Amino acid sequence: MEVESISQHTSRRFNKDLEGIHNLVLNMGGLVEDQFDRAIRAIAEADSELGLSVAESDHQVNEMEVRIDDECRRVLATRAPTAGDLRLIVAAMKTITELERIGDEAEKIGELASRLATVKRPSTNFRELRNLARHVKGMIRDALDAYARLDVQQGLEVMKADKVVDEEYEAIYRQSLTFMLEDPRTITREMDLSWAARALERIGDHTKNICEHAIYMAHGTDIRHSSLTNVESEVSQAGIVKEAAR
Amino acid sequence: MLPNRWVSHFVYAGAWLALALLAGIWLGNPAWWLVGALVLYLAVTLRNLYYLDRALEKGAPVPPATRGLWAELFSIVVRLRSKSRKRRKRYRRLVREVRQSTRALHDGGIILNPHNEILWCNRAAVRLLGLNLATDVGHRIDNLIRNPDFVSHLENPGGDSVSIPSPALEGGQLSVQIIPYGKNQRLAIIRDITREVRLERTRRDFVANASHELRSPLTVIGGYLDALAHDSDLNRDWRTPIAEMERQVSRMTRILRDLIELTRLESSHEEAPRDFIDVVGMLKFIEREFVSGLRTPRISVHFGTDFALLGSEAEVHSIFHNLLSNAVRFTPPEGSVDVRWERSENGAVFSVRDTGIGIPDELVPRVTERFFRVDPGRSRELGGTGLGLAIVKHALQRHGASLGIESEVGEGSLFVCRFPDSRLVARGGPARAVG
Repeated sequence: MEVESISQHTSRRFNKDLEGIHNLVLNMGGLVEDQFDRAIRAIAEADSELGLSVAESDHQVNEMEVRIDDECRRVLATRAPTAGDLRLIVAAMKTITELERIGDEAEKIGELASRLATVKRPSTNFRELRNLARHVKGMIRDALDAYARLDVQQGLEVMKADKVVDEEYEAIYRQSLTFMLEDPRTITREMDLSWAARALERIGDHTKNICEHAIYMAHGTDIRHSSLTNVESEVSQAGIVKEAAR
Repeated sequence: MLPNRWVSHFVYAGAWLALALLAGIWLGNPAWWLVGALVLYLAVTLRNLYYLDRALEKGAPVPPATRGLWAELFSIVVRLRSKSRKRRKRYRRLVREVRQSTRALHDGGIILNPHNEILWCNRAAVRLLGLNLATDVGHRIDNLIRNPDFVSHLENPGGDSVSIPSPALEGGQLSVQIIPYGKNQRLAIIRDITREVRLERTRRDFVANASHELRSPLTVIGGYLDALAHDSDLNRDWRTPIAEMERQVSRMTRILRDLIELTRLESSHEEAPRDFIDVVGMLKFIEREFVSGLRTPRISVHFGTDFALLGSEAEVHSIFHNLLSNAVRFTPPEGSVDVRWERSENGAVFSVRDTGIGIPDELVPRVTERFFRVDPGRSRELGGTGLGLAIVKHALQRHGASLGIESEVGEGSLFVCRFPDSRLVARGGPARAVG
């Protein structure tokens, strides 16, 4: 079994259903990663066509969300899962909502990219934004990896990385303000730029949530709205409890 | 037939019993003597069985100083044991060597089971894909490598490899091929193609930039030549050279235009857009252009369907125009060119048949190469750029279509473009596509 939390069931179909949901969520994650990648490339390479194509293909992500949602509801209704199986489905349903929102933000970035491609670029070619995007890209990848491997440690690391993203967003925002104050002609461009940075920052937050769902699925501890140090101690405690229970 | 050792064993055992019986008859109580002899025989047999059991199960040393059947049995055990030890050693060395050599490979290799779970991977795969050998064995690979292109290749392996960005290396590009083997096992080969991709891009950029840079000086030269050609004061001797220069400049301009078009087609990986194209109207328009030319063969256009295409208008125009102009160029004035637009089983077919000079069999696969000419002197004379069919091929690829060529020297050629169903739409089409 590739998912440890999926216990063996007498019904093999049930096992298959659960695995199917887990895999579909990660497939959807792959789709969103790809969307995000292309949106970022559209900004870096000033490719307005690419940006628009990202904006137009968001419907794939939405369709996938509906499909997984249906599948989860079907399994909930027909199998009445409990414990780890229930957690897997609940985590899946929450994760796809986050993924769908990341997809929406990527769509937004795509649109902004197609607009930014038509204006004069600063000599740095939006280096700060590209840096931020690289960070966020790594976060999405690590979060989905943590979800796939049920790796709590990696999840916690992603949650820590979100702090850096927030700081970088703050810096870009301030820099944009300075530009706008210096030269009002840059206002349109800088507004678009800070909107893109804002979208990236939001994606960072959604990614963090995915990690929370992954940890919930793996350990059954709800770690939302608590500080990171609390979370770490809680998770390690849960880990010890689990070890002892074995 | 019993083996020798058994025969001699029976002889010894029989002799032993006979001896006991004789002693019994001699000293009285033969039955007890016989029982005693049998008990002794059994005790020896059981002792040896015990040693055999230990030797087979735990590899304990065999007892020394036995003779006959048992000695031979024990020597067989010893022989087998040393044989298997040697064999195990050999296999271990082989496995180690295979592991070491695959580790030294620059290409990544992953063995997958039928459920796409990772059974084994080498170090290059770990490096290229960011896998973790300790935790990822047994995980589904499509959960870890989530690129949609890769996932769809995994579902339908075979065919070409797919190119995906490396999840682990910044800016890296990988080519992945899934090879089925054995009983539903699959091997994924991962190659780092970052350098190739970068080189290819450099080459393309160079050609594109060079063509752009050459275009402006050429325009200036063309302008002056044009002015000179129409200058009535010009010395009569200069007329011919200047006319020739004008012709060459216009040819160079055409080549540059085609080069730019070709690099544009090559560099866009996206599929062609899905604009509504009225094929019938477009073909009639192109036909008119050729019919008006001098010394052209007879052109007939036949429409078997009025289905429209969903694609890029400029590219489809370029496909039709290039094929038709090729046919007209290589067909003598008394020949004929037959153009057809028809439905086929799973799509539509655009075909151009001419009665021209034809292409030798062995050169047919090469005609879509850049600047390849069947008869260099002749086609240059006829005003071709050598890029037409390369453009056609790339434009068709972007539409998910294929190009088929049949030809016979002296008889003529047939060029067939097969468009897939997904690119077709009934005329009138969906409202959104119009315009």
